[in-house]
Amino acid sequence: MGMRGRAALELQRLASFGLLLLFGPIVVALCRWRWGYRAVDLQGVRKRFAEIRSKHPGPMILCTNHLTLIDSIVQGYILMSLPRYMTQVSALAWNLPERKNFNQTLAWRITCYLGRCIPVTRGGTLAQRNLAQDRMRYVLNRGDMISIFPEGTRSRSGRVDPEYFSYGSGQLLRLVPEATVVCVYLRGTQAGGFANYPQRGERFHVDLKVVTPTSESRGLRLARDYSRQIIAGLVELETQYFASTEHGQNHEASG
Amino acid sequence: MTEAEVHAKVVELITPFSKNAEALANVSAETDILQDLQVNSARLVDIVLEFEDQFDIEVEDEAADNIRTVGDAVKLIVEKTG
Repeated sequence: MGMRGRAALELQRLASFGLLLLFGPIVVALCRWRWGYRAVDLQGVRKRFAEIRSKHPGPMILCTNHLTLIDSIVQGYILMSLPRYMTQVSALAWNLPERKNFNQTLAWRITCYLGRCIPVTRGGTLAQRNLAQDRMRYVLNRGDMISIFPEGTRSRSGRVDPEYFSYGSGQLLRLVPEATVVCVYLRGTQAGGFANYPQRGERFHVDLKVVTPTSESRGLRLARDYSRQIIAGLVELETQYFASTEHGQNHEASG
Repeated sequence: MTEAEVHAKVVELITPFSKNAEALANVSAETDILQDLQVNSARLVDIVLEFEDQFDIEVEDEAADNIRTVGDAVKLIVEKTG
């Protein structure tokens, strides 16, 4: 990627930070008071995430299960406090939305740009894919985080499917093998499951797990092996969650 | 293997991943794997890995990215096995 491409990403990074200073408090207020979103042990989750980030300050890939249209927002709201977002330019993770979902109107394109998104085109041309991969490599190598949904789509069954998933997360790790992979399991404890939006007053369970995928394979097989191990990490967190609910553990929400 | 045999094998390998039976019934070299056969882009990787296993070849990333049609796949495999 040339200097112009890098400069464009730096500009986007700063612009999104500037916007965050303006709209971050509004988004947090909406999440907290209008939609009433809470998280189980919010401070504990934030502390654990801060510890992981402190231990792994370099490139990081957040691999989150995908159930609703606003998982990225909810995840961002839960993982870090507003002051951290407003004081650390790198706090906001980059997102990788499908281009066609955000290319309909100018307003959506601006939202995508300022929301620190790198649009990707599924089944796009080689040039489109290379450009998107160059951008992802650049932002990771400068130490930023990328948030990705390893399943590739929202889970209609409400569960992480260990058989049918995208290999995008593995491809991303192939681009920057030294990146730290953090599996993030996010689920509403009341309605939970597949939905366009979480219900009002939802309280979220969030669990984190650092995984280190390994493989002797090369090329596309390597991406598949990595992706399988990332999905396995999410399945493990999901299994733990349902085991804890079956045992009737009472999670007190906060935040 | 002749080109026709490779074509038949390629179609056989794609079949489980295709969501468009009608397009599959009328498949030709020009048939677009993603658009016409409605194969999920993630599954295209599985198909390419099937090509590697079945034809005992190695497909580089760039070559895999260039596979758009059934004909592209056949051409690549014929080149690799030729």
